[in-house]
Amino acid sequence: MKVDIQSLGTFNQLAHEGAQQATASMAQMTGIDAVVDVTKITLVDRADVGDELADQDFVGVQFDFEGELSGRTALVMDRSCSETLTDALLPGDSTQDMAESGVKEIGNIMMSGFIDGWADYLETTIDHSPPTYIEGVGQDIIPPSRGDEGTDQLFVFKSQIEYIEESVEFYIYMLPDYDSLTDLMTTHADTEDDAIPIDKLQVFNRMSQQGTRKAAENVSMMTGIDTEAEVSQISFARIEDVPKQLENSRYVGTVVEFTGVPSGFLLVLFDETSAKNVAEAMMPVEMDGDGLTDQHTAAIEELGNIMTSGFVDGWANVLRTSVDHTPPRLVHDMGQAILDPLAAQVGQHQEHAFIVDSRMRTDDVEFEAEIHALPNEQELREALDALMVERAEETDANPDEIFQ
Amino acid sequence: MKVYDGSQAAGTEPTERIKVGIAEYDVSVDGAVLTTSGLGSCIGVAIHDEAEGVSGLVHVMLPTAEDVDGGNPAKFADTGVETLVDALEDSGADRSSMTAKIAGGSDMLDFSKNGSGIGARNLTAVRETLESLDIPVVEADVGGDHGRSLRLEGDTGDLIVKSANREEKRL
Repeated sequence: MKVDIQSLGTFNQLAHEGAQQATASMAQMTGIDAVVDVTKITLVDRADVGDELADQDFVGVQFDFEGELSGRTALVMDRSCSETLTDALLPGDSTQDMAESGVKEIGNIMMSGFIDGWADYLETTIDHSPPTYIEGVGQDIIPPSRGDEGTDQLFVFKSQIEYIEESVEFYIYMLPDYDSLTDLMTTHADTEDDAIPIDKLQVFNRMSQQGTRKAAENVSMMTGIDTEAEVSQISFARIEDVPKQLENSRYVGTVVEFTGVPSGFLLVLFDETSAKNVAEAMMPVEMDGDGLTDQHTAAIEELGNIMTSGFVDGWANVLRTSVDHTPPRLVHDMGQAILDPLAAQVGQHQEHAFIVDSRMRTDDVEFEAEIHALPNEQELREALDALMVERAEETDANPDEIFQ
Repeated sequence: MKVYDGSQAAGTEPTERIKVGIAEYDVSVDGAVLTTSGLGSCIGVAIHDEAEGVSGLVHVMLPTAEDVDGGNPAKFADTGVETLVDALEDSGADRSSMTAKIAGGSDMLDFSKNGSGIGARNLTAVRETLESLDIPVVEADVGGDHGRSLRLEGDTGDLIVKSANREEKRL
């Protein structure tokens, strides 16, 4: 089973347009202007779907859909966002029942628009079930995907929509049945030339998970803070959406360019609070004041370096190649401004990009680190091809085994 | 995206705020404020026609559309500036009275070994395109190794540049 870059791009565009259609329907109904911020396709562990949702109350609607493409989709928003929306729809009436039916109605209109967009493109009919109202905390609101016991990684289409105030957002998640989506992608593939075998993409995801674990071990070793790798996923998005992977708040960290097959960029980033906490854990003396000093950033530079090595070693082991990288460059700037020059450099040769996102966390202190890799797409394909040739057996049997 | 800024004094009309994303542009005809954030090597080009009170902002990412097939014109410095000028003219602005202010094009995280980096090439492409359209660049805050966020006041054409660790600048 292979998926080509072209069809990933097309499907991503389709999901984006579907989300725009859905958002326009909502705007017409409520008079509230909104825009679709980002749409991306993510290959992620089943258990990690929706992990990016904050730990708060969400409400929404879910549907099942059937046809040439089948699966499940959900529209979710935080509770305050739903109140704003239902108030626009039914001013003054805020009983629980009304709020629920308001969410359902908006959900119905939006998701019909979303599904119809896909059906039009595929020139087929896609039926969907009536909307079901859902509520839950954080990622628990995302309905489980159906069936597919055979795979533990899923493709998820996610659109982020924002309106009025930047802090208020809602999301459309589409969880196609794995076989239904991959069959469709195979049917719509134009050429075999730029195809990536899906199981290899899953191996690549595992590779990054191993790399993240290694990087987390290095952090534990160096700081004494017990750190765990949390999530690792690979996404596919338009180049201009890549910088939006990061908040626009300030980050501290390191960036390297790696060379070989694949080449690209690797970022290790901490939010400022995490940077301060982790740096102080590494330093023998107590620091005064609140700000980040040169000593803090020097510690972060060192940490970034060893996390990078850990991560890249994870890749190199599997690919059986050496992955070299430049010395780390220290960055301390707005998140999007850090990513945009890297996206631009990759974007000179490609319209879409694969982005590897990993995260690690600890309970001991307030600390979170992110690792992002931006590989050149064509070389990633070559690397995965090589992986297939050299290690096909191990890969087909069990992606985990090749790391042992 | 249209956002209403609640910070205005009671009794006056709130100033509309329009957010311009990466590889996007927008035009303000009624004094609305245009904003864009997180410029690294990207460039924000603000064009203002004082006589007509029309302003526009584009957030471009790469130097030239020549190297890439199809796609979104606002992603590139050359086609992005042209697209914005067309949109301004459609909104009643006159090219002969347009002036430009530019910000961004930083060299941060430029790993290129030969020739100039993307930020510098973006800058060249923006300047050349504006020159070919006879639109003078009256102010610029470009280069360096830091990110920028911009706010263009539609009625005056003032461009406010914010950077991490730096004083705010008004161009």
